[in-house]
Amino acid sequence: MDAAGELYDRHAGRVLALARRILRDEGDAEDIVQEVFSQAWRTATRYEAGRGSVAGWLLMIARTRAIDRLRARHSRPDTTGDVLLETMPGNTQAPSDQAIANEQYALIRQGLVALPVEQRTALELAYFEGLSQSEIAERLAAPLGTIKTRIRTALTTLRRSLRP
Amino acid sequence: MTMDRHDTIGAMLDEYALGQLSQDERRNVETHIRECDVCATDLRHLTVVMEGIAHSVDPVTPPPALKQRVLASLALQPQEPRRAAVESNVVTMPVTGVKIRRGVHPGWLAAAAVVILGLGVALYSSDATRRLLIDDVQEAQAAAVDLQRRIDLYAEQADLAVSILTAGDMQPIAMSGKEDATASTARAYWSRTRGLLIVADDLPVPPPGRVYQVWVIGGGTPFSAGLLGDQGAGRGMLIAPPPNGVAPGTITVAVTDEPPGGLPAPSGMIRLAGSI
Repeated sequence: MDAAGELYDRHAGRVLALARRILRDEGDAEDIVQEVFSQAWRTATRYEAGRGSVAGWLLMIARTRAIDRLRARHSRPDTTGDVLLETMPGNTQAPSDQAIANEQYALIRQGLVALPVEQRTALELAYFEGLSQSEIAERLAAPLGTIKTRIRTALTTLRRSLRP
Repeated sequence: MTMDRHDTIGAMLDEYALGQLSQDERRNVETHIRECDVCATDLRHLTVVMEGIAHSVDPVTPPPALKQRVLASLALQPQEPRRAAVESNVVTMPVTGVKIRRGVHPGWLAAAAVVILGLGVALYSSDATRRLLIDDVQEAQAAAVDLQRRIDLYAEQADLAVSILTAGDMQPIAMSGKEDATASTARAYWSRTRGLLIVADDLPVPPPGRVYQVWVIGGGTPFSAGLLGDQGAGRGMLIAPPPNGVAPGTITVAVTDEPPGGLPAPSGMIRLAGSI
């Protein structure tokens, strides 16, 4: 098996799952998988291992492209654009060791489940649907300030769940 | 960097990580995190959280046909010469806010090499030449990004200086030298709404391990406006937004020598001072 195929085998399942979660359409999700690996292929020389895991990088690309497609589907203005592709901060190193990264991800997953439902809902709308805080407030019929507080509190809780 | 700016940017990091900011807002955040270790650390943790949320979705088994489709598309894409691909990266580098991603992920290069060889396409004259080219391009990219950062910073400072000098409430302050700075001359321009601009000439070199810090004193309480930037040839300058909390009434602007990075309250010798 060649290296590209091995890399695909290792990560395509998560990329496809995330794209499905965001787009809820199998055909669109598979298109995203192709776009993600194509993008990664083209920009491979710009990837720095110390900045984060390969999986994290691929999933960030997947999220951005999927949300772009979701916004286009709903004719919503594109505010994410290439933001996550191009501005993943260069001085923000995620854990370079995959085992540590996986441990951190597991902690986040546990933390997500433990969040109060209203916080988790607001955060998931922001992350998986790419909604702005104003759009979330409108969707949930809640004051904007409440939504801001819910998301901030949720992210603070999740950050605290990380190992130092 | 002011605490106001730190607090403002710090409050935007969540939305930055979620991709909810406008381009200008993102640029402000990216400029700040290069200067602020606290915010950079916060953002690093937020990035891990974002990746963790992505990993919270259970992986699925992709249909076999998808793998064939993806690998087939990859095999077609590297047909353009590698040099062109690298140059393309130069063009698409964002003009602001992005650190150069140095280094090459060996897995991807290996993957690229395998597919390219599989296609029988000789894209590179030699591996060493390619690496040298990539290094050169990355150096140039780093220089370009650094230059852009400086231009952004200067433009921001120039805008603030103009807004101070043209503010309706701007008041010039004559400053005089003290202690070993009696030969120094300085002009300050204070606007309660816009900020402070101070230019000092013929300043003595600060004592070893010390820097000059500027204070705005209102109601007897000093507030740091920032560090006096060394412009060379004895000239120092600072353009800063107004510190929070300066009481109305008589304003004194003073320059003291302090440890690197400055202090929250003055401790060193006053070198320049003036009041209105």
